[in-house]
Formats: sequence, structure tokens, C-alpha cells
Amino acid sequence: MDMTAGLPAATEQRSLPGDFAIWIFIYAELLVFGVFFLAYAFARSHNVELFDAQQRFLDRNTGAINTLVLITSSFLVVRAVNAIRRDAAAVCARWLTAAIACGGIFVALKLGEFHAKFAAGVTLSTNTFYMFYLSLTFFHFMHVLMGMVILAVVAVKARRGAYSAASHTGVETGASYWHMVDLVWIVLFPLVYVMH
Amino acid sequence: MKADAATRRADVTALGVWLALCGLTVATWLVGQAGVGGAAVVAALMLSVLVKGQMVVDFYMGLKRVRGPWRWVVTGWLVAVLTLIGVAYWLGGH
Amino acid sequence: MQYRSQAVAKPYFIAAIGLFVGQILFGLVMGLQYVWGDFLFPEIPFNVARMVHTNLLIVWLLFGFMGAAYYLVPEESERELHSPGLAILLFWVFLIAGALTILGYLLVPYAGLAKLTGNDLLPTMGREFLEQPTITKIGIVIVALGFLYNIGLTILGGRKTVVNLVLLTGLTGLALLFLFAFYNPDNLVKDKFYWWWVVHLWVEGVWELILGSILAFVLIKVTGVDREVIEKWLYVIIAMTLITGIIGTGHHYYWIGTPEYWQWWGSIFSAMEPIPFFMMTVFAFNMVNRRRREHPNKAAVLWALGTAVMAFLGAGVWGFLHTLAPVNYYTHGTQITAAHGHMAFYGAYVMIVLTMISYAMPILRGQEASDERSQVLEMWSFWLMTVSMVFITLFLTGAGILQVWLQRYSTDPIPFMAAQEKIAIFYWLREIAGVVFLIGLVLYVVSFFVKGGRPAMASAADTA
Repeated sequence: MDMTAGLPAATEQRSLPGDFAIWIFIYAELLVFGVFFLAYAFARSHNVELFDAQQRFLDRNTGAINTLVLITSSFLVVRAVNAIRRDAAAVCARWLTAAIACGGIFVALKLGEFHAKFAAGVTLSTNTFYMFYLSLTFFHFMHVLMGMVILAVVAVKARRGAYSAASHTGVETGASYWHMVDLVWIVLFPLVYVMH
Repeated sequence: MKADAATRRADVTALGVWLALCGLTVATWLVGQAGVGGAAVVAALMLSVLVKGQMVVDFYMGLKRVRGPWRWVVTGWLVAVLTLIGVAYWLGGH
Repeated sequence: MQYRSQAVAKPYFIAAIGLFVGQILFGLVMGLQYVWGDFLFPEIPFNVARMVHTNLLIVWLLFGFMGAAYYLVPEESERELHSPGLAILLFWVFLIAGALTILGYLLVPYAGLAKLTGNDLLPTMGREFLEQPTITKIGIVIVALGFLYNIGLTILGGRKTVVNLVLLTGLTGLALLFLFAFYNPDNLVKDKFYWWWVVHLWVEGVWELILGSILAFVLIKVTGVDREVIEKWLYVIIAMTLITGIIGTGHHYYWIGTPEYWQWWGSIFSAMEPIPFFMMTVFAFNMVNRRRREHPNKAAVLWALGTAVMAFLGAGVWGFLHTLAPVNYYTHGTQITAAHGHMAFYGAYVMIVLTMISYAMPILRGQEASDERSQVLEMWSFWLMTVSMVFITLFLTGAGILQVWLQRYSTDPIPFMAAQEKIAIFYWLREIAGVVFLIGLVLYVVSFFVKGGRPAMASAADTA
């Protein structure tokens, strides 16, 4: 599908990186998250005091570290895509593995956060703020897990030599999905953890 | 090896984008630490998200050089969502 | 027909069409009872007609799905069906059990039927759409298990395609979720909660997988587009269906005693349920536009495109109309629901079964496509049924909007029956549209017996 791969990538107009179908999926996912964010924002406008008061109980430091972790993993994935464009499959696989490790750090920190909240007796029914906090972050959490699975499949295939400079749509497909997961968190962190 | 040189340049760009994204994230965290709020802070945060998001879209997703409306769809998503979030916060402030 | 065992699909398709006719007749009876309350009373009271109308629908769609599976699984797996004999045996078991159940509904009062079939031992009766006596439900499970065994072994022992695996996943989900029909807790909230696991997770979950895989199969056949392209779309549509549809169950949990967060979850996720249907529309037209051959079966192509459009309208748009919690607060259980139910079931599931029958039946009868006259008649029936269904939906929507206004929204609400009298005109119009639908259905049946015209041949196949 991607005929321009392997050519000088940075200078000319090209078609969508990765599989076309994943982009349809990415746009649909962005729509779901967008609606979810707006539901949060407008629900807050009816309960400003509650949201602002409850937001203080969130672990902002972990949220910020997780943002850095996801941004870094996205960077590592970019390096992986650039590597395969140079035909360096083993290097590509190593960058991907590093990115997956970052995903693992995100998951561990997030689980710690969830554990602290559940230990404090927080549930979906505690109040509207926590309903949104838990729903949004858990929904995103599931996407991180899904993205890690995709990246793992791509990394294994890359190590086996399934991709090359001329043919690496699979790498770009996984990378595009992972960037979407990152992009969504970039909106989520200030919205839920910081802004009031 | 023209392709090699191009991807090396892309590596450098990606590093620059990474630094910028980290910087903006730390700035967001500092805003949180300061505990400030209000319309100006909301606007600044949303603007920084727009910048960060567009950087991811352009340089990480690689949509900057893609033919057709694909890049603008995501940019449009960012603008629409962030603007409406801003509107919701403005409504909440009154 | 590439494999002899595909022929077992034929009786399933014939039974499906026969029961379809029965369903429509009872629909017309019930439609008339809306405006002429004691029509056919006491022989066929309204609640019995409704039960027969909805149960027949489900049963004939299941016949259609099973027929479709028996037809496409051998072809996709590139081997004969594991056991054609079992398929025929299960066909008769299912048909006889289904017929006895319907006769039970019609001849015995419902409470008497419950007593007669030993409902006390394992009470499962009395819930909408799951009215079947417990013994019939057990029969359904046995048929489903035998069916899954048969096609499962065929798939696992042959070529594994995405179409096959998605279909198998959908059918397995269908069987597993049906088990919740046996869970009948005393707590009314829990009862409703799990009841939707059958009803909603069928039609807005696993059935969509069945729909997607059958549509993909027919499109591969009639367009000649590369399987890889179609499979990619299928993956994305399926993923989107499950993401939106599973949590979208929440749109049934708004005011039945479940926690409040369901109002948010249900609204947000079910608002996205139109997306996979929209993708399906784009997908179907895209594939037909990129076709690499002109399949002689024009009628099948028409049904396939019709499914994609009508499923989006009926399930997607009409579902979205009343899925948000604040809207549903007023529209819950009104004629808006009936409007959505009619167009969604017709557009998504009736039409996909008819698509498959339209594609497969000529081949099962030894032709690549029906004769021209037969196809023209079939396309007439397509338009008559589809357009009349659009009108049924519009009339019921009109009735529903008026009902919401008169009975619930206005500052001076009037009682249910008073509101019903005021919207009777819509019920009359709906009944007329229903008669047109029946005419379309009769033409559809007739089209199987019409011959002549230019015998359809593969016209300049594979231009690519």
C-alpha cells in the first residue's frame, strides 16, 4: 500500500503512514475520547465546586510522570519507524522494545494510582468527578494495554525480519495507533489533573 | 544513501519535539503545583495542549506531509475539543 | 456450488422465508389491533400476536444465520461440512420445536403453557422476547451446540479466514449469551440487567459480527475485490462494534435501579454505535465501486448495498435519536422505540439474511444467478419492502413524537389511552404501509418460481 516508503521520506507528499484501516479506527477512537472529554467538561460546569475540590486529591505528580513516560515512548516509536526506513530491522525492534517498556512503566504507575483510590474507598458511585476520573483513565488504560500488545506483535515481527525499508506498513500502523494513545493522554492530563 | 540522511534528520527533529513536549508537560505540572486557576490559565493550558497535540500529529504521526485532509481532521478535532472544553469552563465560571 | 454439503443451507433458507411470511401476517394482525382493539379477540389477543410476531422474527433470523453459515463456512474453509447429516437433523429438531412453541402460544393460554411445560422446575418464562417455554430454550441450546460443533470442526479443520473466524466468534457469542435466558433472579433490577445481556448484546454485539462477516463474504464474491482489503475493513468494523456496543448496553440501564454512572456510560458509548454502521456503509459502496467483475446476480448486489444503508439508518440514526439519557427520559418505551426496532431489525438482520439468500439460493439451485425476469421481480420486492419499511418507521416516529408530547412532555399531560386515540391516524397509515410490505414479500416469494428472460450469465467476468 505504501509505495513511497524507502524513498526520501522527509521531503515529499505521501499517503497516510501505515494501513488505511487503522486511520479510520484512530479517527473513530478520537471521536469517542473527544465526546468523553466534553462530557467531563460540561458535567463539571454544573458541579464546579465538587470537581475542583475532588481534583486536589488526585496524584498530580504521577500523572505528570506518566505524561513524560508516554511522550518518551512515542519518541522511541518514532526512532523505530526511522530505523526500519533505513532497513535496520534489529534496531527497529530494540526501539520498539524500549517503547513497550515505557508502556509498562505507565501501566505500573497507573495501577498504583488505582490501588490508592480503591484503598481509599473510591468507587464509580462516589461522586460524578470520580465517576469520570475512573472511567476516563480506565478507558485510556485499556488503550495503553491494547497499544502495547500491538507494539509487541510488531516488535516480534521486526526481529524476525518481516519488515524492510521497502515494506514496513505494519510498523507504521502500530506506531500510528500508539501516537493516538499518547495524543489522547496529552489532552487528558491537564483536563483531569490540573485545570480548574 | 539519501534515505539514510533523511531519516537521520527525522531523528533529530523527533528529539527536538520530545524536548518541547517534555518542557510543556513540566510547565503544565508547575501550573498544577502553583494551584492557580481561572480563564487565563485555562486558555494557556488549552493552547499548550493544542501545540503539543499538533506536534504529535505533525512529527510523530507524520501527518505533516500527507496528502489530503487527513492532517486537518485531527487538527480540527483538537481545535473543536479544546475550544468546547474552554467554553464549558467559561460556563462553569459564571 | 463448490462443495456438495453446502446444499444443507437450502432447507434453512426455505424455512426462514416461510416463517418470515408468518411473522409479517401476525404483524399485520397486531397493527390492526392497535386501531381495532378486539379484532380476532379472543382467538388471538394482542399480547399473543406480539409474542408470535417477535418470536417468529428471531427464529427465522436464526434459521437464516445458520443457513448462511452452512453455505459460507465450507466455501471459506475449502472443505466439506463436518457432518451434513447432523445439520439436517438439527434443522428438523429446530423447526418442529419452533412450530410446537408457536402453536403453544396460539392454542394454550400462556399461563397454561407455563404449567404444561413445567416452568415451575426452572422458571424462565414471561420475559419479553424470551417467552419460550424452558424446554424450548433447552432445545435452542442443544441445536446451537450441535450447530457450533459442526461448523467449528469444519473451520478448525480447514482454511481459516477472517470471515470464518469472525462468523464463528459471533455465533459462539450468540450461543453463550443466550445462556443468560436461564438466569431469572427474583430481584427485578438484576433480572432486567442480565436480560439485556441476551437482548442487547445479541443485536448490538455478536449479531453485528455475524452481519459483518456475511456481508464481507457476499462482497468478496460479487465484487472480486481482494480478500485482504475486505478483511481489513472487517477487523476495524468489528473492533468498533465491540468497543461501542458492549458498554453501550448502558443505554438500557438508565432508570431501572442500576447505578447512575450508567447514564454517562450508556449515553457516551451508545452515541458512538452508529460509527461501525456508518463504516459498513462506506465499506460496502467502496467495495462495489472498486469491483473487478460484473456479477450477473444484480439482485444480490442490491440487497448488499441496501443492507449497508438501511442498517445505518435503522440501527445507527434511529438508535441515536433516543439513546442519550436526557432524551430517553421522555422517549423510553414509546413508539419511537418501535420505530427504531422495526427499521433496525429490517435494515440490519432481515436484509443481511435476504442478501445471503439472494446470493446463495440461485447457486444452490444450479445457476450462478437467477433468470432476468426473476431478478427484476426480486428487485421490485426489494424496493417495495424497503420503501414501505421506511414509511412504517416514519409513521411510528410521528406517532412516537406526538405520544411523547401529549403524554409526557407537555405541561398538561394526558393519559396513555387518550394519547393513543389521538395518534390513531399514524397507526392506520402504518398498517397501510404494512400491507405494501406484505405485497413486496409475496413478490419476493413469487420471484423464486419465475423463469425466463435472458438467462443470466457471467458477463465478461474478470476484466482486471
